[in-house]
Amino acid sequence: MTQTGAVVVASSVVTGLVVVLLLSVGAAHVARRRREQRNAARRAALVPLVYTLLDGEEAGAVLAGAPAVLDEVVLHLLPQLRGSDRKVLQDLLVTRGVVERAAADLTARAAWRRGRAAMLLGSTASTAHTAGLITLLADRSSQVRCAAARALGKAGDVAAAPHLLAALTAERTLPSGVVGMALLDLGTAALPALREALTSGTAPARALAASLLGLHGDLHGTPALTLTLADDGQPVDVRRAAAEALGRISSPRATDPLCRALTFSAEPVLRHAAAEALGRIGDPAAATALVAGMAADDPGVRAACADALGALGPDGRSRLTQLADGEGPTAGTARGALDALAVRSARLHPMAG
Amino acid sequence: MREFLTDVILVANWVLLGHVALFHLVTLLLVLAGARRVWRNRHWQGSEGHGETFASPLTPAVSILVPAHDEEAGILDTLSAALGQRYPALEVVLVDDGSTDRTFELVAARYGLTQVTPRPTACLQVDGEVLSTHRATTGDPLTVIRKTSVGRRSDALNAAINHARHPLICMVDADSLLETEALLQVSRPFVEDPDNVVATGGVIRAANGAVTDRGTVVEPRLARRWVVRVQVLEYLRSFLLGRTGWADAQALLIISGAFGLFRRDLVVEVGGLDAHSLAEDAELVVTLQEHLRRQKRPHRIVFVPEPVCWTEVPETWGVLGRQRKRWSHGLGQLLWKHRRMIGNPRYGTIGLLALPFFLLFELLGPVIELVGLSAVVTSFVLGLVHPATAALMLVLAIALGVLLSATAIAVEELTYHRYGRGRDLLTLMGAAVVEHLWFRWAHSWYRLRGLVAALLRQAPVWTAMPRTGFSGSRPVAEAPAVSLAS
Repeated sequence: MTQTGAVVVASSVVTGLVVVLLLSVGAAHVARRRREQRNAARRAALVPLVYTLLDGEEAGAVLAGAPAVLDEVVLHLLPQLRGSDRKVLQDLLVTRGVVERAAADLTARAAWRRGRAAMLLGSTASTAHTAGLITLLADRSSQVRCAAARALGKAGDVAAAPHLLAALTAERTLPSGVVGMALLDLGTAALPALREALTSGTAPARALAASLLGLHGDLHGTPALTLTLADDGQPVDVRRAAAEALGRISSPRATDPLCRALTFSAEPVLRHAAAEALGRIGDPAAATALVAGMAADDPGVRAACADALGALGPDGRSRLTQLADGEGPTAGTARGALDALAVRSARLHPMAG
Repeated sequence: MREFLTDVILVANWVLLGHVALFHLVTLLLVLAGARRVWRNRHWQGSEGHGETFASPLTPAVSILVPAHDEEAGILDTLSAALGQRYPALEVVLVDDGSTDRTFELVAARYGLTQVTPRPTACLQVDGEVLSTHRATTGDPLTVIRKTSVGRRSDALNAAINHARHPLICMVDADSLLETEALLQVSRPFVEDPDNVVATGGVIRAANGAVTDRGTVVEPRLARRWVVRVQVLEYLRSFLLGRTGWADAQALLIISGAFGLFRRDLVVEVGGLDAHSLAEDAELVVTLQEHLRRQKRPHRIVFVPEPVCWTEVPETWGVLGRQRKRWSHGLGQLLWKHRRMIGNPRYGTIGLLALPFFLLFELLGPVIELVGLSAVVTSFVLGLVHPATAALMLVLAIALGVLLSATAIAVEELTYHRYGRGRDLLTLMGAAVVEHLWFRWAHSWYRLRGLVAALLRQAPVWTAMPRTGFSGSRPVAEAPAVSLAS
């Protein structure tokens, strides 16, 4: 073939591809518009029937044979419902074979099929498939692992908690945020597993457990969190999480260890977390440590100490006012915190003054 | 002598041919990788768990940073969109960077600003003088910093970072509109993998021509000008497919300054944005990658193809030329500053793939294209090339370029289909052809000027783009303040 011939063939092939693509775009556009209109009409017809079913009237027979768009409607409603209403929709999905198909899809070849199946089973809040979902925590696809973790959280089977925590450091790991959200979804039933993880888990598990105990406001976790905060051998992320958790739990028993962390730690992130936690607790006994913290080199630590002093009530504000009278960065930070308090106060009490 | 010149011209022709072929091949591979990723994501649509992210107490708070210089045309829309984000905890830090128009006055009137003492949380170097700090009294989490301009966006952003209080910072241009869920979507990688994710970027699209209402794009439409339409296509290709492909290769070099989310502590750790860079967004990403790789710290930079930030793109050739020259100048600065990373396996795919690609095709591309084009024309004049063969080569080059654009249009229609009107799709297809007739060559010329500026080490000049504001919008100042943010 000559050089010109080769170019002619190449140009023709590429041009042909362009034409095929553009024709496909046009066809897809038209088909999508039609599909959307059809599904909208079907939804409009099916939604009243679903509500009829929820009202306890007979509509199951009609819905059992309804088109697939019904499954989307039901799965959208399901997380918003509780009690008998939820059970009615779960039964409808079982009747339509949706749950059975999803369970079979947990071992499908395509990752998205496994992931969607896991999420569907999670949405049905059934604990019947916990074992299958736990297996997916070690799936080769990270998206599937995440979907399985979310599904386990939604399903609410607390037996999954240790597996979720273990997945943080497994060969095929799960990100801590996904595991955290799943464990939060499990509710207070997961607290014993979290307390256990705080004392005997791996470093990522300890950090996550500390954060979650704080978010639950778990008073029983305070002693272990205090020990974790005070332990210099712990990674700084774990200690920071413990400090934040103690602030959320807001027990004055944590004031002293937090003051020590603020005063003696060399890590700005830990000092920052300790100052914020002291502000959340609002114990006036922290005022002296916070005033000392206002001399920190790190502006973030200074700002956190100033905010915390502002949260201590009249005593803290009076200390801030004294500091604001001085010179240098400490005085500037104090003045900034007082201004922020004034703006907030004016917003909350617009008629005052 | 004539023989020597003939050889030179023929070599130049072949270099041009090889460059065009290689560029299209690499881009096609990227586009295919991006299309594959976007196509796969399509199966997961609707199950991303944005509701859970919104409700999760683990979702980190975000400071949205908006540098603004003479942005009276659209600043209220931009703030309205930023403050109206569906996100559990955010603040907006607007930096009025020496505006000479009514930017500050409009914001002050709309949000009832009151002057407060600044509360810095970091001490990055800021060359402009910070004049005053203000807080909104309307209940909106808005802080406004007024400073003198030194003509650099990076300086305004560093001032904003110094006053940001939250662990994540989101940089948004003052002429951009965030979709309501954009922040929630782009922050999802941080929520799910807080230990490793250091930055995420979202999709930017051109807002020119779209119907907007109080900071919300109601209906995306194409603008009337071809110069804008071609840019819409460029953005589609670049954001929807190109960056997705680079991100998949763990070699994402650019997170657009118009919409990017970063870990604040790391940005402070590397000293903030480079004060003298004209490509400060890309510079920050490369600096972070270099810093973290050298320290062997785990990190991931993620591109999220779903969320959308709508931005104004240049509507005239003059403004477009200045913008592209600035980008090219900035790229030259960036590649020179990080030259030791180029081709260095220590920096993984960034060093081995992304930086050489940007050097060869983005920075030096215009030189090769314009020199090659001159050689082709000379060949014609001297009768060295058969006209039919040359014409066929040209058709092939254009067809390859159109194929890339058609792939981007196809993926857009099959996945996100933001353009509901069929005529907009037809126009986009037309733009795919028009682009190669004149836009491409003008673009090369602007980039060449930027390259020359970089080679001559000219002083960086950051010129603000004239704003027209968003079409179809009614003035936000007339509307009541509504904020979903807390």
